[in-house]
Amino acid sequence: MDDPVIAEGLTKTFKVPVRQAGLRESVKSLFRRQFRYVEAVKEVGFRIPAGEIVGFLGPNGAGKTTTIKMLTGLLHPTSGDARVLGYQPWKRDKDLLRRIALVMGQRNNLQWDLPAADSFLLNKAIYGVPDGVFRERLDDYVDRLEVGALLDKPVRNLSLGERMKMEIIAAMLHGPEVVFLDEPTIGLDVTMQRRLRQFVLDQNKEEGVTVLLTSHYMADVSALAERVIVINQGSLLYDGALTGLSNRFSSHKTIRVEASDLPADLDGLGRVVDRNSAQATLEVERDRVSEVASKLLSAATVTDLSIEDPPLEEVIDRVFSGR
Amino acid sequence: MTTENRFSLVRYYAAGARTGFQRDLQYRMATFMVLVGFLIEPVVYLSVWSAVARAQGGMVGGFDEGQLAAYYVVWTLVRVYNTAFDPKAWEWRIRQGRINTFLSQPVHMFHRDFSFFMGSKIAWTILWIPIAVVLTLVFRPSIEWHVVNVAAFAIAIWGGYAVRFLVLYVMGMINFWTTRGAAMFGIVSALELIFSGRLVPLQLLPDWAESISTWLPFRWTFQFPIEVLIGRLDTTQIAAGIGYQAAWAAGLGLLFTVVWRRAIRRYEAVGN
Amino acid sequence: MSRPIGPGRLAYLHIRLGVQQELQYRANFWVQVVNSAIALGVGIVAIAVVYLHTDSLAGWSPDELVTVLGVHLMVGGFLRAFVFPNMYKLMSDVEEGTLDYTLTRPADSQLLVSVREVELWSLIDVVSGAGVLVWAVSRLGDQVGVIHYLAFLVALICGSVILYCLWIVAATLAFKVVRVDNVMQMLSGIYDAGRWPVGVYPFWLRGGLTYLVPLAFAITVPAETISGRIDWPWLLVAVGFTVVAFVVARLVWLWGIRNYSGASA
Repeated sequence: MDDPVIAEGLTKTFKVPVRQAGLRESVKSLFRRQFRYVEAVKEVGFRIPAGEIVGFLGPNGAGKTTTIKMLTGLLHPTSGDARVLGYQPWKRDKDLLRRIALVMGQRNNLQWDLPAADSFLLNKAIYGVPDGVFRERLDDYVDRLEVGALLDKPVRNLSLGERMKMEIIAAMLHGPEVVFLDEPTIGLDVTMQRRLRQFVLDQNKEEGVTVLLTSHYMADVSALAERVIVINQGSLLYDGALTGLSNRFSSHKTIRVEASDLPADLDGLGRVVDRNSAQATLEVERDRVSEVASKLLSAATVTDLSIEDPPLEEVIDRVFSGR
Repeated sequence: MTTENRFSLVRYYAAGARTGFQRDLQYRMATFMVLVGFLIEPVVYLSVWSAVARAQGGMVGGFDEGQLAAYYVVWTLVRVYNTAFDPKAWEWRIRQGRINTFLSQPVHMFHRDFSFFMGSKIAWTILWIPIAVVLTLVFRPSIEWHVVNVAAFAIAIWGGYAVRFLVLYVMGMINFWTTRGAAMFGIVSALELIFSGRLVPLQLLPDWAESISTWLPFRWTFQFPIEVLIGRLDTTQIAAGIGYQAAWAAGLGLLFTVVWRRAIRRYEAVGN
Repeated sequence: MSRPIGPGRLAYLHIRLGVQQELQYRANFWVQVVNSAIALGVGIVAIAVVYLHTDSLAGWSPDELVTVLGVHLMVGGFLRAFVFPNMYKLMSDVEEGTLDYTLTRPADSQLLVSVREVELWSLIDVVSGAGVLVWAVSRLGDQVGVIHYLAFLVALICGSVILYCLWIVAATLAFKVVRVDNVMQMLSGIYDAGRWPVGVYPFWLRGGLTYLVPLAFAITVPAETISGRIDWPWLLVAVGFTVVAFVVARLVWLWGIRNYSGASA
């Protein structure tokens, strides 16, 4: 069986009308519309095997959401191809739609004015979930996310976090094989984020659900995904293990050394990020790491020395602002 | 997992209708206020035409005052069944991204909206009953009750809903191409007001106008169900009317599938 | 120390600002032109159909009925341009608790909340209504003399002021009952009853349309006057009622402010 999600050379270009200020320009635009082309996604390709969780990282407007939309049939690519469970998503074959789930923003799967329980019943009818299966699954999910007491409250009376939990339940009730989550934990507090992540992880482990997740939050991705795809300005910058991310993008490592007799001038060894009488943190070029480490060890009475990758947030930040 | 799922359109309609029903019953007061608001128009029109009838010795265009009252009282119920998805609301739907959710589900949006409004109407009908009682006491309508008419009315009123729903739904598709559809809706509304029998029974229009109304869909959504219930049509005319409803529903349904495909293709090309 | 600004100048400045803002939205001009044309067309068609079947409707001839349509459009335009936007803003201020800002300004609060907003393009209805009026009056010919024009102006102003008072009373009562946008919509719907002279309605409705939602004073009386028939007693009652309405509105407004709990409640 082929991989459930395949993308090849996905490209999406938007034609955007150019509007300029001023009376003369508005009159001119009545006669000749001017356009510019925006390449939202450029030749993005990847294959995701069944049961994997993949995190899509990228700043706003990078093209992550556009890519997800192409994979869920909401946008037609300008060129390139994609297959989800063997189908081209934009054909919107009912058989495909029955086997996937999409959580994009909140307030989508739920009826605002009615209790969540009613929205679940509607979803049950949309996907044709048999009664027994529905009961079992609903009870299980409600249990795991601890929302039992909230089932009869109108959705508009729930907090953002509670609503998000209901959204996810609604999305998973029909037992989808591939789940697309677009910014699922945005606006949630830390505990809520962790609960949701655990739920997704459990679904992945127990049911083998393939998950594509886009997020701003490094924590989402590092908690859930072993594999990340970095997209910036429409291009795929990186596709691989999370741990390899800093190797790929960061030319530096961070050395922290604890010693009370460090030499005054450390500038020759690297960039001094932080320093006090008992310790110092240096940013050192990768290829100089062992050299600097041994220099430090010989120059002072070192009680602790560690060599670390810079924090992932920093790496990502630099990638997005630099490249 | 998903292989055990079995979809049934009938069960979906039941669930969709139930959702609409519950939603509107939740907001009883607001719905009731809307229903009361619906009364203003027919009371105005009835007053005007009764005044005309009185000036002409009690009858106008084949209607006496009791029959005019009957027309406009039944009008209020038919008005309820005429409400459907506002064409202007598509713009909001597109901008808010709701369309994305609906498009990623295996049930066509049409079924979603159609079933929702069906349930909603049942709730409204219940809330309408006390209003009907008051109207009957105040305006003293005269209706020729026949079992056949009531049965036919039950069909005609849903047929009228189906046709009007499709008219508005197809019009709403314009929002996939432009945000300036409002002017067109205004013109269609004005035409509908005159040619549906909403403003005045079509028999009171000049002959050429009445003929036009037979060829437009509006008459079959509004005046036709009214006339069925108040007993102004014979069986042949009732059957013919239901035939017109079916023909319009089928034609508009076909038009919709064509326009929908284009609309979605456009949406998938340009996004929100 | 400078003299505080007078209410007239204050109103003028606010309205001018509102107009300047609206002028930026040129597209709305065309939308309004189309809507006005439709409203006018439908109104004329309705009158035409009525007079297919009769010569006189509750004592009104066709041209006289067209004056009713004209006044209805004019007053409607005035309401939509100057009254409704302010009333909606007032109600949303109350709902969101942002009325405090206006209440602390050194000018009369009732005046301020009544002139802040302008929906400029609704004035197109005033123009189309006036046009229809001119056409109808020209057809009425000799019936209408100078005295009628003067009396018409008085009646029109009184009627519009009375309607303004009705609306501000309704909006002020919104301080207490928050879900009042339904009532506002209902009132606007009832305004449609004014397309026909009040004499058309059954007697039990006429009272309500004269003293409760005073469409009689706002539309029927001015229309009657401009079509050459002055009912002096009614005109006097209209003027008297205007004064009463103004005083009542003022009292209700002051009561409303006193009971307004504000954002800090």
